[in-house]
Amino acid sequence: MKWWRMRERNDDLERELQSDLELEEEEQRERGLSSEEARRAARRAFGNTTLIRQQTRETWAETWGWARFEHIRQDLQFALRQFSRNRRFAIACILTLGLGIGAEATIYSVIHAVLIDPYPYRGAMRMVHLHLYDKDPVPDDLALNGPQFRELEKSPVLDGAIAEDVYTMSLTGEELPEQLSVSRMSPNAFEYFGVSPLLGREFSAADGNRVAVLSYHFWKSHYAGRIDVLGKPLQLNREDYTIIGVLPQRFAWMWGDAYVPLAYSTDPRRISNVFARTREGISDRAAELALQPLLDTFAKETPADFPQHFKVHLVHINEVAIGQFRGVLEVLFVSVSFLLVLACVNVAILMLARGEARQTEIAMRKALGAGKRRIVTQLLTESILLSAAGGALGILLAYAGVHAILRLTQPLPTLFPAEANIAVNLPVLLFCAGISMVTAILCGAWPALRASRTGFRHVMNSGTNRLAGRRGGRNAQMSLLTLQVAITILLLVCSGSTVQTLLRLLHANLGYDPQSLASVSLVSLEGSHNKWADRVHYFEQIRSAIAADPDVVSAAIGALPLTGSEPTPVSIAGQKESSGSVIAQNVNEDYFSTLRMPLLAGRMWTRNETTRGAHFALINEAMSKRYWPAANPLGATIVLNNGVVHGTMWKLVAPGNDEHFQVIGVVGNVLNHGLDEAVRPAVYVPYSMTPFDGFTISFRARTNPASLLHAIKERVHSVEPDQAVGEILTATDVIEGQSLGRESFVASLFTAFAFLALAFAASGLYSIQSYLVAQRTRELGVRIALGARRSQIVEEVTRAAAVSVLTGAAAGIVTSVALSGVFAYWTNGNARDPVLLAIVAGVLFSAAMLASVGPALTAASIDPMQALRTE
Amino acid sequence: MAKKEQPRANLLQGTLDMLVLRTLLYGPAHGHEIGKHIQRTTNDFLQMQHGSLYPALHRLEERGWVTAKWEKGPNQNREFKYYRLTEKGRKQLLVEESQWKQMAEAVARVMWPAAEES
Repeated sequence: MKWWRMRERNDDLERELQSDLELEEEEQRERGLSSEEARRAARRAFGNTTLIRQQTRETWAETWGWARFEHIRQDLQFALRQFSRNRRFAIACILTLGLGIGAEATIYSVIHAVLIDPYPYRGAMRMVHLHLYDKDPVPDDLALNGPQFRELEKSPVLDGAIAEDVYTMSLTGEELPEQLSVSRMSPNAFEYFGVSPLLGREFSAADGNRVAVLSYHFWKSHYAGRIDVLGKPLQLNREDYTIIGVLPQRFAWMWGDAYVPLAYSTDPRRISNVFARTREGISDRAAELALQPLLDTFAKETPADFPQHFKVHLVHINEVAIGQFRGVLEVLFVSVSFLLVLACVNVAILMLARGEARQTEIAMRKALGAGKRRIVTQLLTESILLSAAGGALGILLAYAGVHAILRLTQPLPTLFPAEANIAVNLPVLLFCAGISMVTAILCGAWPALRASRTGFRHVMNSGTNRLAGRRGGRNAQMSLLTLQVAITILLLVCSGSTVQTLLRLLHANLGYDPQSLASVSLVSLEGSHNKWADRVHYFEQIRSAIAADPDVVSAAIGALPLTGSEPTPVSIAGQKESSGSVIAQNVNEDYFSTLRMPLLAGRMWTRNETTRGAHFALINEAMSKRYWPAANPLGATIVLNNGVVHGTMWKLVAPGNDEHFQVIGVVGNVLNHGLDEAVRPAVYVPYSMTPFDGFTISFRARTNPASLLHAIKERVHSVEPDQAVGEILTATDVIEGQSLGRESFVASLFTAFAFLALAFAASGLYSIQSYLVAQRTRELGVRIALGARRSQIVEEVTRAAAVSVLTGAAAGIVTSVALSGVFAYWTNGNARDPVLLAIVAGVLFSAAMLASVGPALTAASIDPMQALRTE
Repeated sequence: MAKKEQPRANLLQGTLDMLVLRTLLYGPAHGHEIGKHIQRTTNDFLQMQHGSLYPALHRLEERGWVTAKWEKGPNQNREFKYYRLTEKGRKQLLVEESQWKQMAEAVARVMWPAAEES
């Protein structure tokens, strides 16, 4: 049977049936029936001709399944016609599925890239930082000298270790020196990481010390990705290195621009940071227990390199990289999974409501001769078609979503580990699409299965069925609606508390003026300006050179608030229990005027006092309140215990620095620990007390500070030709990067999800109510005809849904209050805030009202005559 | 939709094919004649259902056991679709007949064992 003979075959069958029907009719007439009666008798004898046709056609195709193909084509055609008649339903289904799938796949892709598989390194999840804890809340990274490192490497609990120092070095030999972050790594490092190079080769123990491997990022930005860089020289701090390789994009260990071999000398005073990988199957706890005695022996050899009474603590590299953001990502994942559940629930509601509404149609088709399987496959085709369209939309949205996340997080480079490669995760995308499509298909098929069981007369008897809707179907929908509302409330609360946090940050009182304020950091060439007086003078020279620029209002030595000031242990002379830690900053006297911080009491130190290294300190108001709540702090002596009595190669100490400082003034508070945190006690001392090799100049510009980089480079160049200048960091960038950017990213995601959830809940409510109204049109018409008031009708149709909404809202609020501890831990928000809960409930109820207006108005405006006639 | 029980036998699956083939052994016939013949021969015990007859006819044709052709009827000027047994169909009839016999004997042996013993 060839398919193109289909029409011919159909005609033939039609003719055959017709001819036999006529014969039957003639026969009946010969028995003496009237022609009308004869025709009817003949038809009765023949039975269901549609079914005969269909079953006969099926036999044609037995050999090659034409019928199935033909049915699918018919079903598809019919389904498309159904959708174009019922556009709102189809669009709601497809949008719901698409948005649910898209959101879930996007967030999961980010989570996968950031939490599950962020690093390209071998055994990355076992790579750890070795933190040494004493009483100080901020730990030290373990640092060892050469022999100690080789000893540690052999530990049976470790699967390799590397030693590394990250330097800021000057790329010299070009017109203006450039500042690079260069990582010196022990020669075994690349074997440890197990990442093959993109170009050339990596260094090993066989190479000398003068080779360099470039990061992908630096290779792209500085060499424009040229392949001929291999073998070229790279001059760092006036020393030549040979470029031997380029690393792949995801290798971004310590954000390095270039990696060079670290030569461990036998000098025990030369120490480097150490990172390790635990052996497979060894727990962190076990490794810590095994390492502690080893490190204790090292501490006995070189006590100066270790804190006193320390405990080693392993911290996985990912924990260090993303810290608390992990919690936020997890909440996001939970929220977005809720969103996917909501999407499925919504589709279920839509499909069930529609299935109910189609019972009559299905019964009718059955009466007209459609087989049971035929009806089920028809409805299945419809739901498969819908879910396929939804799935396709979801896939598109997932790609768009990942793109949007990348754009949103572009200004926040430290939000995720540099190695994380955020891209759409295909298995996850397929999983999400699968789940929601299965839901759609099941819910689509359910009415078909039910309908094929119910009899024609039962459904067509509109008297009973048209009254209040079948209990079973309605209860299922109402419980789904309750669930939807509860989840929506949870998401709204989540979003509300992140927005609250964001608002608090936006309105935080910084204590200084961030407008046109910026800083540049500089690192003096290794080995230069090694004498204390020379270095103090050199810093001042650079500062005044920058301050001389006509576009600079003023410049000061000292870093911007919130940029890497470590807590320093403090004790107050004459106070017993007055130990604790403060934020100590090394600044010069221009710092306060440049930042526009008010002097509240006492005086500043003078330039002359800076130059000679006077033991003076300014404290902030928080410190004054903490240590001298009732007394005058001026003239008191404080001791900063940052162990600077002995200088190192990179840290010089002023002659006579005994860490004792006299308080000569009190300045205003500056948010110095985080925008959302209380101000920490702070001490400002002259930078000349402990000048490091690296220093920061803060300046206020007349124009956009970022545009001054070149001018500043030239000014610095005129003082010292080899001095490289770092990037310009504006105060606004700091605030954004610190937490504002992160919080606004989080808040916008949560809010988007919450409003999606709200839209789902509203659409679920709308479809349930419209369905109820449609189903009860006749009954309501009768009641209006009998004198029921419109308001009664409206109340009647909205009551059930209102109960569901209220129950759901109550459940949601109770849950979010119960979970407020969890929220607080993850998002810094307060889910228990009654104002927030009231706003959330208000938003939800307004949405519910809006969604109910349409169906309620339809119910109220039923024309009794019309209603009775249409049935 | 429960139907009232009717005093008619349902044809065993596949039996109808055999009956149709057997009927066509007398010569070509059209669908109506075949149905009536089976019904009449069994004294209306086997009430032909068109719902099964036409699919069966087309199935037989599809398998090549019968051929069909529109021909003029003997008395009238009308054309009917006459089904004719093919050589393949004759063989198939023999096969089905022997299978049916075996089946009937087997059933009989279970149902009336005494009769078999005597």
